[in-house]
Amino acid sequence: MLRISGGKVYDPANGIDGVVKDICIAGGKIVPDVNAPGSPEPRSGEGGRTIDATGMVVFPGGVDVHTHVAGGALNFARGLVPENHRAARKFLHTPERRAGLGGMTPTTFATGYLYAGMGWTTVNEAAVPILSARHTHEELHDIPLVDKTTLVLMANNEIVMDLLEAGETERARDVVAWLIWAAKAYGVKAVNPGGVAAWKWGKNANALFQPVEGYQQVTPARIISSLASIADDLKLPHPMHLHCNNLGLPGNFTTTIETMNVIDGHRAHLAHLQFHAYGGDDWSSMRSESARVAEAFNAHKHLTTDAGAVLFGDAVTITADGPWQHLLHQLTGRKWGNLDVENETGCGIVPYVYKDRNLVNAVQWAVGLELLLLIDDPWRIFLTTDHPNGACFWRYPEIIQLLTDTEFRKAQVKQLPAKAQQRVVLADLDREYTMSEIAIITSAGPARSLGLSQKGHLGPGADADVTIYHEKPDDGRLFTYPRYVIKSGEIVVEDGDVRATTAGREFVVHPTCDNAIEEYLRQIFPKIYTMSFDNYPVEIERLRHAQIQPCQ
Amino acid sequence: MPVTLRLKEPPPVPLEAETLTTDATALLSHADIRALPVNLGKRQRRLDDFFDVDGERSDEIEIHGDATRVKWIGRGMTRGRIVVRGNAGMHLGSAMKGGAIVVDGDVSDWLGAEMTGGSIHVHGNAGGQAGAAYRGSLSGMRDGTIVIDGGAGLEVGMRMKRGLIVVRGPVRDFAGLEMKGGTIVLAGGAELRTGAWMVRGTIISLMSIQLLPTFSYACTYNPTFLNLYAKQLASLGCHLPLDDHEGGYQRYTGDTCVPGKGELLIWKPRA
Amino acid sequence: MTRNGVTIVDTFAEAFDMRAARVVITAASPKWARTAAECMTGFATSVIGCKVEAGIETDVSPEDTPDGRPGVSVLLFGFDAKGLSDRLLDRIGQTVLTCATTACFDGLPDAPERAAAGGLLRHFGDRFQSSKFLDGRRYWRIPVMDGEFLVQETFGIQKAIGGGNFLILASDQASALTAAEAAVDAMRAVRGVVLPFPGGIVRAGSKVGARRYKKMIASTNDAYCPTLRGRSDAMSALPDGVNAVLEIVVDGLDRGAIERALAAGIHAACRAGVIEITAGNYGGKLGKHHFHLHARLA
Repeated sequence: MLRISGGKVYDPANGIDGVVKDICIAGGKIVPDVNAPGSPEPRSGEGGRTIDATGMVVFPGGVDVHTHVAGGALNFARGLVPENHRAARKFLHTPERRAGLGGMTPTTFATGYLYAGMGWTTVNEAAVPILSARHTHEELHDIPLVDKTTLVLMANNEIVMDLLEAGETERARDVVAWLIWAAKAYGVKAVNPGGVAAWKWGKNANALFQPVEGYQQVTPARIISSLASIADDLKLPHPMHLHCNNLGLPGNFTTTIETMNVIDGHRAHLAHLQFHAYGGDDWSSMRSESARVAEAFNAHKHLTTDAGAVLFGDAVTITADGPWQHLLHQLTGRKWGNLDVENETGCGIVPYVYKDRNLVNAVQWAVGLELLLLIDDPWRIFLTTDHPNGACFWRYPEIIQLLTDTEFRKAQVKQLPAKAQQRVVLADLDREYTMSEIAIITSAGPARSLGLSQKGHLGPGADADVTIYHEKPDDGRLFTYPRYVIKSGEIVVEDGDVRATTAGREFVVHPTCDNAIEEYLRQIFPKIYTMSFDNYPVEIERLRHAQIQPCQ
Repeated sequence: MPVTLRLKEPPPVPLEAETLTTDATALLSHADIRALPVNLGKRQRRLDDFFDVDGERSDEIEIHGDATRVKWIGRGMTRGRIVVRGNAGMHLGSAMKGGAIVVDGDVSDWLGAEMTGGSIHVHGNAGGQAGAAYRGSLSGMRDGTIVIDGGAGLEVGMRMKRGLIVVRGPVRDFAGLEMKGGTIVLAGGAELRTGAWMVRGTIISLMSIQLLPTFSYACTYNPTFLNLYAKQLASLGCHLPLDDHEGGYQRYTGDTCVPGKGELLIWKPRA
Repeated sequence: MTRNGVTIVDTFAEAFDMRAARVVITAASPKWARTAAECMTGFATSVIGCKVEAGIETDVSPEDTPDGRPGVSVLLFGFDAKGLSDRLLDRIGQTVLTCATTACFDGLPDAPERAAAGGLLRHFGDRFQSSKFLDGRRYWRIPVMDGEFLVQETFGIQKAIGGGNFLILASDQASALTAAEAAVDAMRAVRGVVLPFPGGIVRAGSKVGARRYKKMIASTNDAYCPTLRGRSDAMSALPDGVNAVLEIVVDGLDRGAIERALAAGIHAACRAGVIEITAGNYGGKLGKHHFHLHARLA
């Protein structure tokens, strides 16, 4: 048994807001405190370690609801940027740790060490093509310490789109269900609905209500509402996770608000909202419209979102949004990689750098923070940077500082180019995040949104994923170096050092579907795929410590 | 008094010796220099496992022996002088910022790669990618001078951004590949595709070379700016012809397929 | 004090803070370097009317020029760095850039304040220009019809002194002129100075303001005009026997250069036909650099 004693506990899911109390752990779970007044008799054989957490704060382990850490797209990106690897942090192998490279596209083992080293214990790999899901799972298999979920790309899947075109909505639902289990995924991801399919013709899908290239009935709006509805029908623990059309383009805030209206009535999670909250008519007039987006979002109470905030510095943009990446390549002249995934999706990679003197980048920097401050319910907006698109995940503490220190934040705003300051509202926002709210946006909220009821809180029965920070660290930067990180009840990081390497679990769902759908798919498969149907589904054995989460 | 290192025998596999810099030896005692970590393959060893060491606390180093398999000598150095009385291995002077390196013999690939200052003079031959960018980097050497008395290999000055490379002997394919600035003087001829994908910068050839069809002829003249280089090159033992009576430089601009604004200046003696 | 029978008045020349730049012009031959230099330093006698004062400092041999070609060095003086910077741009652009075979380099490499004349001139190249960076300096290559105009990007500007002077009071015009010419030859051998007026000599020396015209900045120096001696409405400063006066004005990079130039010039001017050597000042109230004549000859 492990006891964490004397720390100030933030457990917003259970209404605990900075109370000094003990946390008890046994068998990988949080258990009731036998020493608390009114608790049952102490178990026999209680022994074990006590962590003295005086002067420290105790948080549930971080949950990253949207990141790109494994699989074909990320590995392609790794290949595209050898210069980043030369500059990256090196992990030399030790008896406890495998070798690896940090940087913007860390290698598998290093990804686990970096996330856990920061106090994050669950990550959601947000974009997996079914065709290469096996590759993703193999990389996730090699990411130690953290638990994982994956979302499988569905909004440009041509089998599904063909069914929607023909009006066969029931069959479409069964196909989606079958594909989720074939990919051994956790949920549905929709990226630029219709746009990536159109990119196979060199086109995009910029208008929500216009048919997608090659279709008469199927519009991006149709895909969005269908997938949202399917996710709800299948009772997936996490709703449709949507990367809206027109990402990155000036004036796209109207698309975002229209999309919210299209979804109306269903659950949905809007990914990296920052990239979808711009006004203006072109790059030279681009400005923030976070206020309008936040207002609409606040009113659509069935939606959750993540910030997708940007920080100044180097990044690597990796996204299934092929046409946007081609545009970024043309705008910047940076090298560009593009992959096609037959019948399903694609991806584009462009290394990029966000500069504080660049007007557009300055607006982007402000918008992410504005959304975090203007969306009033912290249970509905979560801390992400769409790693590695907006900034690298280990820079989350910088965003936390900007949210919790208004004076510091305003000083940073004053450093932006004068023109940029006029295009954003950040200077006028005084809200300061409390520790409890930070615990919500980094852990409790995303866990709830992902439907992982055993994560994101420190009540009895929760997975014992706990992060302990010094309340007043020497360098003033809270959250950068946890004093302890506990994963499934084991101390894995102590004083910034990885002490034990455990393997995380992978959560998957097995939604119900009509078994006849497999026969349907087996018929059409050989006509459209270059892979044989029997090789297509991922064997459950490929996943390390797979755990099926119920659909209810 | 320089720090003197005598190679006991050539190592069986490459020795990674990036700790062997003047910045290190300038500050260290004899014992500490001997204990500098080097990697033989993947095993960490001591410098004196491979070299007999004399001297201490000097920013001058003299290396004796065939160091063809000793890599990364002088990496990132900022001061002082390294003299190699023999051959040296790959990545010699990589990323150096200042100081000087002189080699009596030959060097391998990646000489002075991505250097930002200082000078290197190789009396023998060099390998490929001298002064070049490592894979993926946007540019190669940013400043400094490399002089190679012998010939050199592929991709000399690849993606260079500034600085000066002089090769007295012949070079192989792709000299100045994708270069974005800087000056390369080829005194001994070149193989194919010199200046391919050039964006900016100058390649001067004192001999006729085969040109890509995407370079266009402009004129034959004696550019004034070459007089500035001539002075510096004379002190390095390289003579740039400048006399109108002796001939002129044929100017080609390219590489049009980029489109680039680089120039090739090919010396044509007066008939 | 006398020297060679000439009275040296115990007075001082009053000179002013200025800013200076040095430009080294090279060309295919000494003739063309000089042609550009003469054109560049034309109409540059006084900052008041010409906005700059300039002159040829010396020839520079090919061994000493940056590009190993024959050259001429020119000094320019102005009241402030901004004005001088603008003049450099105008003059290099209109007279050196346009002159056959020239190139143009900075002659004050250690001056920390830099004028971006070459950098601004590059726009004449209409985006066809390119640059080379060598030894920490950038040089622009501007395509022109005879090849390329090579110009350094920045030119140093340093503190300097302008308005050093002395007056030669002689028995007749011819003697004044011979003495002045001798002085000019001697002074032109001194580095770091130029004599901005025509041939180095001022025949129409001026005083501040005017007696009768309210708006004039300067007017004839009536105290030294021989035809005005004896008038009831003028105060002459001329001793007996003086029938013509000529002035030498010298600008220099530093005090030492002006002192050397004045000494050489006054010495050469003390010859037959010259009665007195004096200097112009404003009572010491306007310029902070004072050059005492007696100290120059001590």
